Amino acid sequence: MISQGSEIRAKDGRAPDVFSRDGWVAMRQYREAEEVDVAVIGTGAGGGVVAAKLAEAGLSVVAFDAGAFYRPLADFASDEREQDKLYWTDDRISGGDDAIEMGSNNSGRAIGGSTVHFQMVALRFRPEWFQARSRLGYGRDWPVDWREMWRCYDEVEDALKIAGPVTYPWGPKRGRYPYRQHELNASAQVLARGAEAMGVDWSPCPISTVSAPRGKSPPCVYRGFCKIGCSTNAKQSILNTYIPRALAAGAEVRDLAMVGRIETGSDGRATGVHYHRDGEWRFQKARRVVVAGYSIETPRLLLNSSSPSHPQGLANAEGLVGTELMVHSNHAVWGVMEDEIRWYKGPPSMAVCEHWNYDDDKDFHGGYAFMSQGPLPTDFATSMVKNLGVFGMELRRRMALYNHMAGLKIVGEVMPTPANRVELSEETDALGLPLPRITFRFGENDRKLSDHALRFMRTMHEAAGARDIFETAGSAHLMGGCRMGFSAADGVVDGAGRAFSCPNLWIADGSVMPTGGGVNPSITIMANATRIAGHMIGAIARGEG
Amino acid sequence: MTSFAPPRERSPLAGAATALALAGLVGAGLWAARRPQPRPQPGSALPVETARQPAARRARQGGMLLAASAAIDGATEHYRGGFHRWEMYLGPAASIGALAASAMQAAMPRPLREGLLLTAAGVGLAGHAFHARNILDRPGGVCWSNLFYAAPIGAPGSVALAGLAGLAATMLERREPEMPHRRGRWIAIGTVAGLLGTTAEVALLHFRGAYHNPAMYIPVTLPPIAALTLGAAAARPSPTRLRLAHRMLGATAMMGLVGTAFHAWGVHRNMGGWRNWQQNLLVAPPLPAPPGFTGVALVGLAAIDLLEASE
Ligand SMILES: Cc1cc2nc3c(=O)[nH]c(=O)nc-3n(C[C@H](O)[C@H](O)[C@H](O)COP(=O)(O)OP(=O)(O)OC[C@H]3O[C@@H](n4cnc5c(N)ncnc54)[C@H](O)[C@@H]3O)c2cc1C
Ligand code: SF4
Repeated sequence: MISQGSEIRAKDGRAPDVFSRDGWVAMRQYREAEEVDVAVIGTGAGGGVVAAKLAEAGLSVVAFDAGAFYRPLADFASDEREQDKLYWTDDRISGGDDAIEMGSNNSGRAIGGSTVHFQMVALRFRPEWFQARSRLGYGRDWPVDWREMWRCYDEVEDALKIAGPVTYPWGPKRGRYPYRQHELNASAQVLARGAEAMGVDWSPCPISTVSAPRGKSPPCVYRGFCKIGCSTNAKQSILNTYIPRALAAGAEVRDLAMVGRIETGSDGRATGVHYHRDGEWRFQKARRVVVAGYSIETPRLLLNSSSPSHPQGLANAEGLVGTELMVHSNHAVWGVMEDEIRWYKGPPSMAVCEHWNYDDDKDFHGGYAFMSQGPLPTDFATSMVKNLGVFGMELRRRMALYNHMAGLKIVGEVMPTPANRVELSEETDALGLPLPRITFRFGENDRKLSDHALRFMRTMHEAAGARDIFETAGSAHLMGGCRMGFSAADGVVDGAGRAFSCPNLWIADGSVMPTGGGVNPSITIMANATRIAGHMIGAIARGEG
Repeated sequence: MTSFAPPRERSPLAGAATALALAGLVGAGLWAARRPQPRPQPGSALPVETARQPAARRARQGGMLLAASAAIDGATEHYRGGFHRWEMYLGPAASIGALAASAMQAAMPRPLREGLLLTAAGVGLAGHAFHARNILDRPGGVCWSNLFYAAPIGAPGSVALAGLAGLAATMLERREPEMPHRRGRWIAIGTVAGLLGTTAEVALLHFRGAYHNPAMYIPVTLPPIAALTLGAAAARPSPTRLRLAHRMLGATAMMGLVGTAFHAWGVHRNMGGWRNWQQNLLVAPPLPAPPGFTGVALVGLAAIDLLEASE
C-alpha cells in the first residue's frame, strides 16, 4: 500500500471526496499551456479562501499545495506520531537569541494548510488593533478599515459554522455565532473557576468544530485529537469547507505540487509558476498569481523568484520581504488538581479569557488571551522534557499525574521588529531550493508581556485550587514577513493584498499581517483573504487586475 | 489489511429504518387519534356520563405516554451521568411507578395508584430543585453553558406531568356530582401549562442545536398554538373553538410521535450513525422525548371531551 501522503490524488478529472473514506468528486482541470486567470500557491487559511472565492466569481483557478490531499475519515489516525505527516518538517535553519522551533507548533503541509491540524480557536481581533500605532501607540496600523474586516469575519464565521457563546463578553457587539457553544470540559471549568475567583470575565471559546450536525459533518465527539487532524470531519477546516467549494466552482487543486519559483516577464509582471510534481519540474501559465504559503514559505518563494526585472527577489524592491516576522508567545502555567480533569477530552481550548486584550491598564504594549489546555500525552511529555529538563523516573512521575493536570496558556502579542526575519541560506533542499534562514529574538516588551501573563495565570491557577504549579515557555503561530502597508516604503503589498512592485501578484496569507494581535490568527487570515479576494474580483472586473 | 469496517458517513440501513419508524409512528398516531367512542345518541345515557369514560381513558393514555417517555429519557440521561448520586434513581423510578399506576388501572388498588402518582408529581417537582442546584453549582451559575449542558432544568417536569395526568384520570374515573365543565377547565389549564413548559424546554435544546434543521421549529410553534386554542376553548367554550382546539391538539399529538422519527434521523447524523448506537443514543437528540408532547396533548383531548359534553 502506498503510504498516505505520498500519493498524488487530484488528477484525471477527480479529487478526493473529503467526506468519504474512498470516494471522489469531479474536478475541472486546466492545461499547463493554457493561461489560467489565477494561480494560487498554498491552500491553507488564506489560499483556500481565495481559491474558492475567485472560482465562485467565475475565474479559472489552479491552486497548488506542497502537501497531500487527505480524506480525514480514512487517513487520520488517533496517533500522535503518525499524524506528524500533517506538519511542514522540511529542513529550515532557525537561529537568533530565541530561535523559533519550526514544525508542529506553527506550520502545516496539506491541502487545507495548517487549518487541518489547528486547534480551532476562532477569536476576532480587537478593532483598535487594526490601528495599533495611531490608537494604542505601538506596532503598525493596518491599511484596512476594521468595519470591513468585521463584515468579513461574519462571512467566514458563517462559512465555518463557528460554535461560539451566545454572548461574548469583550469587544463591540457582534451577531450571534452560527452554532452554539460546546459543553465545557473539566479543563475549561478550571479556567472559569479561577476567573470567577479573581473577578475577571471568562467565556466559552468560539471554536471551529460543529456542536450540531452540518451537512456531512457530524457534531464533535469530544475525543480531543483535533491538533493532529480531526478524523470525524466535525472540525471545520479549510479542507472540508472552502476546498469542496472551490472544486465545485471549477477550481483545480494540485496536491503534492511544490512551487519553487514564480516566473516574471521583462515587464516585471508574473507569467506563471514553476512547480515540482510527480518527480519533475513543470510550468503553469497564469495571468495572475496569489501567494499564500504562510510566513516562512511565502518570503522564501518570493526571494527565490528573482529575475532581471526583480533583482532582489519578487516584490522586494524595498527589501521588505521576509522582515518583521512575528510569532505569538505561548507561555503557560500548569498545575495539578485534586479532582480528575482528563483534559484530553474535547477540543483542547474550550474556555478563554481575553481580559488583557481589552484592559489597557498594563505596563506593556499589546495584549494576550489565554485558554484552558488539553495537550495529548506525547506533546505534554515533550514540553516537560524541553522546559523542565525532567527525564526518567521524574518524567514518569509527572506523567502519572496527566489526568489531574490543568493548564493555562497564552497567545501573546509580539512586537513587529525588522531584525526578526526570513532570508535565504546557501544550503538547498532535495529539490535544489535554498533553505529559509529564520532569525528571531523576543524583545523587551515581549518579555514584559509574558512575565505579566505568567504572574496572572499563576494567581488564577492558585485561585482555582491547583498545586505543584510550574511554567513553560514557547511560541506558536507565524505572522508577518510580507506585511501590508500604506506605501511601497511601508509594506510589500497594499491594503488589497497587491504587491507594490508587481501589479499582478497578490499575497493573501498570514504573512501580510502587519501586527499579530493577542489572539490566534487563522480567522483573521481567512477574513483578510476574503477581503483581498473581494478587492481582486472588483479590480479584475474593472479591468485593473 | 484488517477486516475492521469503520462506520460509514451515510448508511442506507439508517435511512430505511428511519422511514419505517416514521411510517409506523404515523400509523400509530392515526390509530391513537381516532375517535374512541361514537357520538352520544339521543336517548342514550347523559352526554356528560358518556364523555367521562373516554376522557378518563385519554388522560390515562396521556399519563402513560408521559410516564414512559420520562422513564426512558430519564434513565438514559442518568445512565449517561453514571448515576453518580443515588437521587438520580428517583426520577426514573417514580416515572415507572406512575406508568404502572396508569397502566394497571383495574389491577391496582386506587389508594396505591394515587400514592404512586402523587409521588411522581412530587419527585418531578423536587427534580427541578435538584437540577437547579446542579446548574448553580457550576462556574457561571445561570448562564447559557449551564442551561444547555448542566442538568436540564425543564426535564423533571415530565415526571410531574406524568403524575398529574394519571391523577386527572383517577379523578375522572370517579362518578362525582361535580360539573364536568369545571373538571374540563382544570385539566385544560394543566394541559396549557404542560404544553408551554415542554415547549420552553424544547426551545432551549433546539436553540442549543442552532435549529440546524428547519423542522426543529415545528415543536416550538405548534404546541403553543395548541395551548392557545385550548385556553380559548376552556375560557369560553363554543363548538368552533372546541373543534379548533381539538384539531391542534391532535396535530400536536401526531407531531410528538413523528418527532421520534426525526430524532432517529438525528441519531444517524452523529458520527457512526446507527451503527454506533450505543454512543449515539446517549448524545443524539433523545428518542423518547418527543412523545411527551403526545402525552400532554392526549390529556388536552380529554379536557376537550369534557368541555364538549357540557356544551
Ligand atoms: C498546531 C497548530 C495549532 C493552531 N491552532 C490555531 C488556532 O486554534 N486558532 C487559530 O486561529 N490558528 C491556529 N493556528 C494557526 C493557523 O493554523 C495558521 O495561522 C493559519 O493556518 C495560517 O494560514 P496561511 O494560509 O497563512 O498558511 P497555512 O494554513 O499554513 O497554509 C499554507 C499552505 O501553503 C503550502 N505551501 C507553502 N509553500 C508552498 C509552496 N512553495 N508551494 C506549494 N505549496 C506551498 C503549505 O503546504 C500549506 O498547506 C495553529 C497552528 C498550528 C500549527
Ligand atoms: S474533539 Fe471534536 S473537533 Fe476535535 S478531533 Fe474530536 S471530533 Fe474532531
